[in-house]
Amino acid sequence: MARSFSRLTLAGKILFTIFPILLVLTGGLIVVIVVAGKPIVDFLATNIWLVRFVVAATAVLLMSVPSAFLIIYMEMKVIALMNLRIGPDRVGPFGSLLSVVHGLKVLMKEDFSPTGADRLVFTLAPIAVFMATIMSLLVLPFAPGLFGVDMNIGLLYLFAVSGLSVVGLLMAGWSSFNKYSLLGGLRSAAQVVSYEIPLTLSVVGLLLLAGTMSLNTISTNQAGWFTNWYVFQQPLGALIFFIAATAEANRTPFDLTEADSEIVAGFATEYSGMRFGFFFFAEYVNVFVVSGLIVTLFFGGWNAPFPWPWPIALNIDPGSMGLGLLFALLIVPPLLILALAAPFYVGRSTLPWWQALIIGFVLFNLLVVVAIGGWAFISWDWVAGLFWFLGKSYLFVFTFVWMRGTLPRVRIDQLMGFAWKWLLPASLLNLFVTAAALVVVHR
Amino acid sequence: MINVPGLGIVKGMALTLRKFFEPKATIKYPEVRLDVPHKFRGRLQLLYDEYGTLKCETCFQCAQACPIECIDMGGIDTKGRYHIHWGAPETYGERREESALRRSGRPVPDQAYAHFDPIHPDGLVAILERFDFDPKNMLEILDATQAEYGHLPVAALKLISQRTGAWYAMIYGTATYYRHLRFEPPGSEPIAAASADDRASRETRFLAGLDASLAGSRRGTSGRGTSGPATKPSAGAARA
Repeated sequence: MARSFSRLTLAGKILFTIFPILLVLTGGLIVVIVVAGKPIVDFLATNIWLVRFVVAATAVLLMSVPSAFLIIYMEMKVIALMNLRIGPDRVGPFGSLLSVVHGLKVLMKEDFSPTGADRLVFTLAPIAVFMATIMSLLVLPFAPGLFGVDMNIGLLYLFAVSGLSVVGLLMAGWSSFNKYSLLGGLRSAAQVVSYEIPLTLSVVGLLLLAGTMSLNTISTNQAGWFTNWYVFQQPLGALIFFIAATAEANRTPFDLTEADSEIVAGFATEYSGMRFGFFFFAEYVNVFVVSGLIVTLFFGGWNAPFPWPWPIALNIDPGSMGLGLLFALLIVPPLLILALAAPFYVGRSTLPWWQALIIGFVLFNLLVVVAIGGWAFISWDWVAGLFWFLGKSYLFVFTFVWMRGTLPRVRIDQLMGFAWKWLLPASLLNLFVTAAALVVVHR
Repeated sequence: MINVPGLGIVKGMALTLRKFFEPKATIKYPEVRLDVPHKFRGRLQLLYDEYGTLKCETCFQCAQACPIECIDMGGIDTKGRYHIHWGAPETYGERREESALRRSGRPVPDQAYAHFDPIHPDGLVAILERFDFDPKNMLEILDATQAEYGHLPVAALKLISQRTGAWYAMIYGTATYYRHLRFEPPGSEPIAAASADDRASRETRFLAGLDASLAGSRRGTSGRGTSGPATKPSAGAARA
């Protein structure tokens, strides 16, 4: 049995393992639905919050992986281009699948715990860090109606939960039985706790303006023209928030926690395999969370920068075509492909017909994607909201990567001095000025 | 304007953003291959012809043409007679051995110069003075030297090279170009007679024998690497 299994190819091994599991699971699900379908549906209908929670948690967990992959790829590619290199270009189109390969590599590595490490804490630390990051994703409003929970203390929750990551970092540093890890953990504790204060204080002025801590309401408040964005009322606050968030996310120039030129990899020195992968993922999801938070608080969230002046309503009802729809689906794609391929075939005599067909096929797919995307963008509020939110967020992700490609790491005393001597007074000043302005305006 | 805090950061960020959009110089090697420069000749290598003999005739033309003087030669010429050199003396192989011997405290045999006979230089110096030590008169100098000594001794060639400043290799080349100049005393030449007809007949005989011995393994119209006028395959075939 073992020998015949070892003779299978990789795909065969995977299929051989997954297929029985799927079979059993599907059968079990069918049995459960048949036997207890009605009561379960009734229970879920009365407790819809449970469904919402499970769906939100699953969605957040699922979306964290590709977004982390995307950001890791961006980091590799953008920094490479800034260094006048080409960067990843072997796996996938423009090397875009390299981060997936990284993920698989991390999965396949040995899961190693050093001698003398505190096993339990050592194992829990990456989970703590990852959980803190994932949980903060739950309250981010991605689009109108597309958020996990709309808490009225959403911002407070976010600061509280993302502040938990320092516990994980400290656990990792402490339990690794390694002086570099310990130094990294202590540094991260000092840094994150110090920068938490200006980070929180810098948004208090915004909270005074918005009058709410619900991220969803803050987003809605900034609807309309982009001049409504809070960044124009709180420029200093936005700047302080940006700097402090950089330090919170342990990004260059404030990545003292894993200063690889000084303390190997900081708290992650002794980690390998998927445990390290969790830290790695958490870091990049954290970048996304921080970018999304900046966008939500100061840059209008999911609002477009300008209200669309001419409302368009597309009333397309494909069902009205009846049987003709089927024929259209059969005939239109080949005809369009041929029509798109024809100019290339006619225009360039050296092009073989099959290459022209491939070009036509790719163009047709692009056209369809653009058409369907545009249709969804116009028809659905949340698609447009998601588009703007993700667009703005990835702009900030790009900025973080850009900063990493440019700025050198600061010294630890400069880091702490900057937090306490500059950012804290500046955020207090911002708070007082905002409060005074509000008092003057409201009198 | 210079002391605005944060200006340096802005400048640096602007620089990296400019570099981000700059075209990259990287060549994706296995897919894209650059043309080699048209003067590139690859690694210097001595080639063998189809008869298994070295194609190099030690003519030194490559060494003289080399613009950076990277070509150096040492060894014996095609007739097995002299040590011939090109380049700086300290790069000769025997000089390296010599210095190794000297460093280890052993006596150094003068391998490079021991085997040719010394000459009395007065006659040669007189000849050179007559021709004003001018290397442009090399043929006349060599003629006179041969008249003086009966042949062209190596020591004489060395002295001519030293006094006129001409390269030894050039003198050697000049001397080998003319058939009436000889390097051995007339009686002791390894090859008996040296008249042009006789030489041509000997070449023909040698080539015929060579072709006969190689008849089975010769491939089509390949040239041959023996001496003589530029070996054209058709000429070789006609002779065979």
